Parts: sequence; structure tokens; C-alpha cells
Amino acid sequence: MSSLWIVVIGAVVIYLAYNFYARRIDRTVMEADAAKATPARMYMDGADFMPTSRFVLYGYHFKSIAAAGPIVGVITAANLWGWLPSILWLMIGVTFIGWASDYSAIMMAVRNDGNSLSAIAHRLISPRTRRILFVFIFFYLLLIAGAFVGIMAAILAARPDVPFGILVLAVMGLFGGYAIYRMRMSIIGVTILTVGLTLAAMALGPLGATFEAGKAPNWATAPIAGFVDSLNKSINASGPLYAVVDPTAADPRIPPPGADGKRPTTASYNATTGEINVLPGFLVASLLLLIFSYLGANMAIWRFAQPVNYIGFWIMAIVILASAIGAVLAPFTNAGVAAFKIPDFKGFSPQIAGGALQPLWPMLFVTIACGAISGWHALFGSVGTARQLEYETDALPVGGGGMFSENTLGLLSLTAVAIAGGAGAGAFAAGVGSLINVASFGLIGVPFGTALGFGTFVVIVLTVVQLVFRVMRVTLGEWLGDRWVGFKNQHIASIIGMVVTMALVLSGTWVYLWQMFGASNQLMAALSLLLVTIWLRSVGRNPAFAAIPMLFMYVTTVAASLVTAYNLFVTIATKSGQAAISVVGAWAMIAVALLLVVAALVIAWDAWHAWNRYRTVPPEEVQAPAAA
Amino acid sequence: MPDDPRSTEEKPGRIRGIFGRLREITYGMAAHDMTRYALRTRASMEHLFILTTMGDMLGIPILPPYYSLRLLPYAVPQISTWKRRMLREKDLTDAMF
Repeated sequence: MSSLWIVVIGAVVIYLAYNFYARRIDRTVMEADAAKATPARMYMDGADFMPTSRFVLYGYHFKSIAAAGPIVGVITAANLWGWLPSILWLMIGVTFIGWASDYSAIMMAVRNDGNSLSAIAHRLISPRTRRILFVFIFFYLLLIAGAFVGIMAAILAARPDVPFGILVLAVMGLFGGYAIYRMRMSIIGVTILTVGLTLAAMALGPLGATFEAGKAPNWATAPIAGFVDSLNKSINASGPLYAVVDPTAADPRIPPPGADGKRPTTASYNATTGEINVLPGFLVASLLLLIFSYLGANMAIWRFAQPVNYIGFWIMAIVILASAIGAVLAPFTNAGVAAFKIPDFKGFSPQIAGGALQPLWPMLFVTIACGAISGWHALFGSVGTARQLEYETDALPVGGGGMFSENTLGLLSLTAVAIAGGAGAGAFAAGVGSLINVASFGLIGVPFGTALGFGTFVVIVLTVVQLVFRVMRVTLGEWLGDRWVGFKNQHIASIIGMVVTMALVLSGTWVYLWQMFGASNQLMAALSLLLVTIWLRSVGRNPAFAAIPMLFMYVTTVAASLVTAYNLFVTIATKSGQAAISVVGAWAMIAVALLLVVAALVIAWDAWHAWNRYRTVPPEEVQAPAAA
Repeated sequence: MPDDPRSTEEKPGRIRGIFGRLREITYGMAAHDMTRYALRTRASMEHLFILTTMGDMLGIPILPPYYSLRLLPYAVPQISTWKRRMLREKDLTDAMF
């Protein structure tokens, strides 16, 4: 298998799925009609409702849904089950479920006066469905933040060539916001300056270091990375704070096996005991990331979060484009680079130490989240995209097209990790490094490309995390602000969200955190499809294209939440010799898993009643449920 | 589609069309959210101003009617949009995006 096959398979499947399935549903079930007025045209206010070109909207939708999900999920799944199940789920998921979820959520909002999913749930199912959705969204955001901060802190603590680029990104973000909005400088000039300097800082990280095949890089000779490395060592001089375990070996701090098939012992990992050492450097990296996110969540958005995202977009676009070119060229110019180096299939239920379960069903389907299907897309599409849709017929190229494009990001991540061998973010970055090396015809060396891969990965995740904390504080204020006014204070709400996130990160349950996030994300997608099913039923249309994927995702995600709760229970919560914070974190996550399952079941129960209501009474005679 | 309103639009040449679309997609990815945020901020400020001056139209009398009437001609173009935006039911998900 090589990267060329991934490109061919991806192109053929997406072409067939879009033209022969998605278009058919658009034409026969939804009956999209360009002559019908959309909410953007009916309620145009120049702000929320604004008819927008479908090309602009496609770019906007794609950028808003494409983040670290398709990258982290794919590299974790490829490590646990191999590349074959990963690519199968990516392709089957996007064909029958992913695009349908995004597209149908947008169309449902368009046909319901531009109302959001929660408002439609309130009207079509029951008022408490909306309240449950809000609680659901808060824990969903918390799990995203925990999983993303954990993986970024592990990278920053382990790779001294990465932090400098991130520091420059923060400085450039502050400068960019000031230059564009205050100094009114040309956006093109500011873009070239800030993106150029940030990219240069990211690539300069490893400058001067010594790289030898099969050995860890020697940072001592590098001026930037050497300084960061010595700083790290002095911080870690006091030794590990405590140790945690990850029986799945998916934690980003666990090194990949060497040529002999055994994992080496590093400062963060004890190969003899299989324990992960939580070093002070990891704690410092986590705190620095939270400070970055705090600035992004609380400063005026134009001053920091927006310019950081803007610079981050260009970095992501340049690196991903270069990697994609490399993936296409590699089989012709350097077949060795393009060949896959990880196992194709590791079994339906890989052996995991400590009694943890990782069966392919349901765990693969939540580990790979956003590349195949995602609830975030439906949530965003129903509000951000639907209110700007100029014609109904734009919903498919924008919503469905955006999802298919995100799927290609997942395929690219799979290619990068598969050609690099090993596992985790390190393998992804190494793969990106090799692809950039091929795309630049050897001009950009693999170590510099790898540094760009690491840096880009952190940038993608970081831009999401700062917005997640921003949304989390709004959610907390809306949800609990009436109980205690302090929750409405943006600083207090941010700090509460960050303290809880930090506790989850330090509990050392990264893989479970990721899988719980995946389960809640996919469950959100299932809820969106459930809503679409009820809506289609209420208007007398055939809901099968949404109902069948909904049932599959519903059962899968509830099962995955229960399996994760079981794993936490047997491998951490009740296992002797665990650090107190790990045990507390494990119990907290078990509680969150059960809460999400109960919330999902309550929504399903209400939806069942709604379904029967619309089945027995003609749609036009159904009364909306009274407010509770 | 024969009744597609877009069929009446003037179409650019093939090459210009492709570059125009690429430019629009790039703008959508890079800067549309910034533009949208700026427009929403401006709309919120304007609508807050209209609320304080024309509040009686929504049953919230804040300013004495004399001053409201003096300002009315300037607010007229925005009134329908303002009423729709102010009276529209909003929830958490509206604040998120």
C-alpha cells in the first residue's frame, strides 16, 4: 500500500458518493429548490442573516469544521487497529453518514426559519431536549479541551524545537490584531509578515541540532531548541511528580517501539513498568497553554484570538497543501517514502494490558471522530452556515462538500502516520516532514519538515482550544448564570473551565478523554440526525437516509461511552497503586460518561414520543409541546 | 435547473471563473469570519442605540418621545431589521457561532 492508493481511493469514493448518493437525496428527498427564499434572503439583516456566495460559504464552512479532530482521531485509531479499519471507516462513514449529517442539519435549519438545532428540538421534540442539549454541549466542550490540551502539552514538553514557533505565533497574533485593526495596515502586508515570521520560527526550531537515524536528536548544538531543552531539564531536575498508566499505549508521551519492537525508556516513560511519568515540564507546558487560551478566550476577539486563528489558517493551509502535493508525488519520486510502514490490521479486539477493552466496534467509530462524521459540524452548520445560504441548492456543495473535504484531511493524516511508521502525533509530524521533503524536491530537510509538522499540529489544536474555552465560558454563564451570578463573569467562568480541564489533563487518562470526546461528538451527530428524522417525519418525507445512520451512531456511541467507563473503572479507578488525581479523574470521567448516556436516553425517549405524535396525527395538526 | 435564479447571472470566462472561485474560497477560509464578526459587532452597537432611542416601538420607553421623534428619520432604514433581530428568540447556540 502506498500514498497514491489513498489518493485514488479517496477521489473515487468521494466522487461516487457525492454524485450518485448525495445529489440523489438532495433532489428526491429534500427537493432543494433555488427559487425558494432562504432565511438569509427573507431576514437579511447584514449581520446574522446575509446571503453569501456559495464559494465563500464553502470556504467558511470548511475552515470552521476542519480542525484537529480528523488528525488526532486517525493517528490514534491507526495505532490501535491498523490503517485498514481506519480508511474503511473514513470512507464508509463519510459516504453514508458524515455528509448526510452536515447537509441535513443545514437544510433543516433553512426550512425552519434559520433556527438552531436546539430551538428546533424545543419545538419538534420537547422543551427539556433543549436544556439537555446545553448540558451536553458543556461536557462536550470540556472533553475537547482536556483531550487537546493534553496532547499539546505532551508535544511541547517532549519537543524542544516546537515551543519557539508557538511563542512567535502568540506575538504575531498580538501584532497582527493591532496592525490590522488599529494601525489599519494592509492585510496583505500583515499576512506576509506575520505568517512568514511564524513559519520561519517554526522551521528554525531544530536549526543546529544533530539528527542521526535510529537515535534521539541531539538538541545541545541547536541555539533555540538547545536553550529550551536545557530549560526543560532544569525544570524536570526534581524528577517526576507522579506516575500514571495508559494500557492502550496511545498517550502521546509514550514513545513508539524501536527496531527491536520494544519501547525505549525516556524521561516521560518507564518501559519496565509501563508507567508514564508526569514531569514538572508537562505541568508547565499545560499551564502555558492555558494562559494562551485564557488570553484567546478573554481578550477582545480582534486583539488576539482572531489574528492567531488567521495566521494559523495560513500555516495550516501551506503545510497541508505541501503535504498533499508530497503524497501525490512520493510514489513516483521516492517509492520508499510513500510505502506504508504500519500494520494494516491489528485484530478486532487488540490485546490491551490491565483488562481494558478496545473492541473495533464500537471504539473505532468514536476514536475517528471528525473525518467520518461529527456533531460539531451539524451544530455549526445549523447556525453559522444555514443563515448565510443564498439558495437552497447551495446546501449540498457547502455542507456536503465541506464534509467530504474534511474527510480528505483525515486521509492525509492517515497517509502521514502510515508512511512514517510508529504512532501518535510524532508519527504524524514525521510523515508530514517526509511529504514536505518530497514536495520541495529535497529543499526542506526532513527534520525541518518534521518541526513544521509538529508546529502545525499544535497551531491547529491551539486555535481550536482558545475558541473552545471562549464558548465554554459563554455556555457556563448561560447554563448556570441564574444560579450564581459569578458564572456570568467571564474571568471566573474561564478559570473554572480551565481548572476542571487541567484536572482532567493531569489525571493521565488521555486516550479515554479522547474516546469520550469522540463518543460525545458522534452522539451529538446522532442527535442531529435524530432531529432531522423527526422533522422529515413531521413534514411527510422519507427519513430513511437520516434514520438508519442515526440508529447506528446512537447505539455505537452509547456502547462506546459504556466501554470507556468500564475501561476507566478497571484500569484506573479500582486499581491499586494509582495516583490520587488519576483515580479522582477516572471517577469524574465515569460520571460524565454515564451522564451523557442518560442524557442521550432521555432525548431518545422524548424523540420516540415525538415520532409517534407525528406518525398518528397529520403534521399540520400537531401542536408544538407546551413550554415546561 | 430551468428556474434557477443563477442561470440569469452573467458568467465570467472559464479561467477567470476558476480564479474567481479560488479567490472566494480562500477568502471564505481566511477572512470571512473576521468580516462577519465586524459586521455583527457593528449591528449590535447600532441596534443597541436604536433600542435606547426607539425603545417604545418594542414597549420599552427609555428616551422621551420628543428626542425619539427627532432621531426617527435617521433610524427608519434600520427599524425593520432591528425589530426582527431584537424580537428573534435566541439561545446558547446563537451565541456560540
